[in-house]
Amino acid sequence: MLRYALRRVLWAIPTLLATSLVLFFVTTLAPDPAPGPDDSAGEELRRARFLDLPRFVNTHPLDVESLANAAVSEIASGGAELPRGARELARLGGAALPYVLPLLEALAPEARGRVAVALAPVAERMGVGHGDDLLRPELAVLFWSRFWDDRALDFTRTAVDRAVARLVEHGTDLREADIVSLDTYALPEIVSAMSTSGDRLTLARLTRIAHHATGQGSVLAADSDATQVRRAQAEWKEWWFAHATDFLALDGAERAIAAVTETRYGKWLRRAASGELGVSAIDGEPIAEKLCERAPVTLLVCGAAMLLSWAVAVPLGALGAWRRGRPFDWVSSAVLFVLYATPTFAVAELLRRFTADHAPSGVRAVLAIAALSVGSVATLSRWQRSAMLEVVRQDFVRTAHAKGLPAWRVVVVHVLRNALMPTVTLAGLHLPVLLGGAFVVEEVFGLPGVGFETLRAIEAHDAAWLMAVVLASAVAVTVGLVASDVACGALDPRVREALSLRQGGRPA
Amino acid sequence: MSGERGPQEPSVVLDLSRRKGAATRAAMRDSLIGARRVAAPYLTMTRIALARLGRDRMARAGALVLACLALVAIFADLLASARPIACRRHGVLYLLPDVTHPAALAAMESAPTRRDRSPGDWTLPALVAHGPTETAGDVDALLPPLSAGHPLGTDALGRDLFARVVHGARTALGLGFLCSLVLVALGVVLGSLAGFRGGLVDSLVARLVESLTAIPTLVLVLVVGALVPHPTTATLLWTIGLTRWTELARLVRAEVLRGLGEDYVTAARALGASPARVLLRHVMPNAIGPGIVAAAFGVASVVLLEAAVDFLRVGSPDTMASWGEAMGEARLHAGAWWLVAFPGAALVATLVSLHLVGEAARDALDPKLREAIPDGGGGTGA
Repeated sequence: MLRYALRRVLWAIPTLLATSLVLFFVTTLAPDPAPGPDDSAGEELRRARFLDLPRFVNTHPLDVESLANAAVSEIASGGAELPRGARELARLGGAALPYVLPLLEALAPEARGRVAVALAPVAERMGVGHGDDLLRPELAVLFWSRFWDDRALDFTRTAVDRAVARLVEHGTDLREADIVSLDTYALPEIVSAMSTSGDRLTLARLTRIAHHATGQGSVLAADSDATQVRRAQAEWKEWWFAHATDFLALDGAERAIAAVTETRYGKWLRRAASGELGVSAIDGEPIAEKLCERAPVTLLVCGAAMLLSWAVAVPLGALGAWRRGRPFDWVSSAVLFVLYATPTFAVAELLRRFTADHAPSGVRAVLAIAALSVGSVATLSRWQRSAMLEVVRQDFVRTAHAKGLPAWRVVVVHVLRNALMPTVTLAGLHLPVLLGGAFVVEEVFGLPGVGFETLRAIEAHDAAWLMAVVLASAVAVTVGLVASDVACGALDPRVREALSLRQGGRPA
Repeated sequence: MSGERGPQEPSVVLDLSRRKGAATRAAMRDSLIGARRVAAPYLTMTRIALARLGRDRMARAGALVLACLALVAIFADLLASARPIACRRHGVLYLLPDVTHPAALAAMESAPTRRDRSPGDWTLPALVAHGPTETAGDVDALLPPLSAGHPLGTDALGRDLFARVVHGARTALGLGFLCSLVLVALGVVLGSLAGFRGGLVDSLVARLVESLTAIPTLVLVLVVGALVPHPTTATLLWTIGLTRWTELARLVRAEVLRGLGEDYVTAARALGASPARVLLRHVMPNAIGPGIVAAAFGVASVVLLEAAVDFLRVGSPDTMASWGEAMGEARLHAGAWWLVAFPGAALVATLVSLHLVGEAARDALDPKLREAIPDGGGGTGA
């Protein structure tokens, strides 16, 4: 049994991957922020949504080394690209120094001067050198080659790691200045320290350093509350996720992996799988948290409606089949048929009209569950009835009757148990419908669940939340499908056999 | 449809395979037609199904309601429109000016109606002289039913409810029909391919079916509508059509697999029939039943989805007439019962009749139930 369950769960993985492809396609529908000339905000938005990356395979993954080299050659050529290269080099900052400074020697004297001058903003950020000297080519070249002779040892990962650890342990201005003088080279360690450190003062220092080096992101005030801390952490994590490759060098193996991960699909999938769902466009809250906050309401409504409709539908369908052709069957079939065709939102709307607008949330929740159950009861009991009728025709039922068993025993033990099977299978398939219905009733009764929030997000075109919701509901439904399949296997050994046969016996 | 499956068929086929050349084609055709004619008195599944469908009183009622709704949808402009059905202006006769002379309309609208009228002018207005999108200030807002000029009342924007309901039928049924065309085509093609080819194709289709099933359609439609830059009705159509085919594909695949195991398929293969012929002539005719049933249920589910989406997205700039949208407006105006009652009744009537027809078709096409139903005359012992 356990093997069967595990096998079924494993089979859900390719399904989830295919689902992710479908969802990824949906993300591509979201409008691209049009890249205007020198529109840095639009550029940032494109970065945050990975629109600058290829879709599925990245043949030339960029890292700080290749970016720095490209910037240097742009500056060295001295043509029209010079300002762009200089801007890029200033953005890369300290992280680019280990690749740029050793190169200086190899360049022609004039180009060397231009590159050194272009590094002036970096030196200013790092708090080294004198402003005027750095703008004169000869002095700047001299300064930077001396700088590298002196400080090359500081620009190693172990040194930075130690420096950041010291700062986290006991923050002083001196230690902060140490790290500031490494500029963006220290970012990987700073960002990872941000997510592990819970101390407000340390976080304030770390965000200040990171903001100083990148000119982006928010700085946490020392007296901020827990929500602000959480938000700042989420924001920086998000930023690092989109920008990490600008400040990190890839070696051979990492480069091969990056060919797959540094793509729009790879980034999106990794982010979705690790639960980093981005930040809401409405109130800037991390989406994963918001989802966890709202999901219990939706799950409660769905689960309760599911249980209620099972509790009502199975006996109802069984009774209908047992009393086939009698008035009870006739009336219940007709009523259920009309209910089956009645949309959930119409039922919900009708129920809401009979209650006061300011009813307590408990009452509203009960009504919502009732409204959601109506459609499911109708669907499930109709399935149950036809499944019963199918089983009643079988030979073993006649045998059971012939053995002289009482009628109720035949119905409950022999027929009902077999007839539950298709209903269990179909109940899994009914789950998406139920989830969609939950969205509707939440909206009608004003319950603060995922659906309610989603409709607000639709009004605000909050793409991050919408994607997270589709993803979450797909995962929830897949879990439900797997659960219903496993339940089927538990009820019926034939199903287990069929699945193992299907996988073992086919060459595909 | 399956008339050639009479007892004469094998000899006919053998006949065909032996002879060749253009001269014998006519003879071939004659012998085929002859075979058909002989086979005709036999009951085919199509005939049985049609006879059964005709006997089902509820299905007939459902079909009648649907036919009426379809007529309403097609002739919505005659029932409710701001433009006349026919009119004569300045000696020129316009028939259905809305359709035939859209350019002349602007002038006709702006012209003062009384003063400008030349002798001999006349107008034949639509049943209700209001279009579905025509808004009339606060004066006419939320009029109850049976008000002057508005038989079913008006909504909060002063739009005539009768016009909204009538044109809503066009939206609902038109969209439902188009969507189910797409989904039946996809479902039948992919399902039969998966069943017939098996192997990799089957696995791929199975994964695709499972993964599309996992996404709640209502949520997907809402989200796609919000993410696409300029959502139109076509967006809705494609979203539903491209995702709802899964159930049908599953059914068709099962039916094709069952058909492949039948003796007559083995026989056809042994006679050298090409795979395409086996699939199209011997397997598909039996698998087409679920397609027809799924089309009926598909229309119902699309109508329902469209109504639910418009119900939830009330107040969006999209002003197309829709039942769900009218019902959604009732949420904001508690006293206006007519906003729920009339569109709701139209919606439920549509859904009930679609389900009636769909269920009757399913029962009629189910060969397992054949024995349970008395033979309907004309059978020669099939």
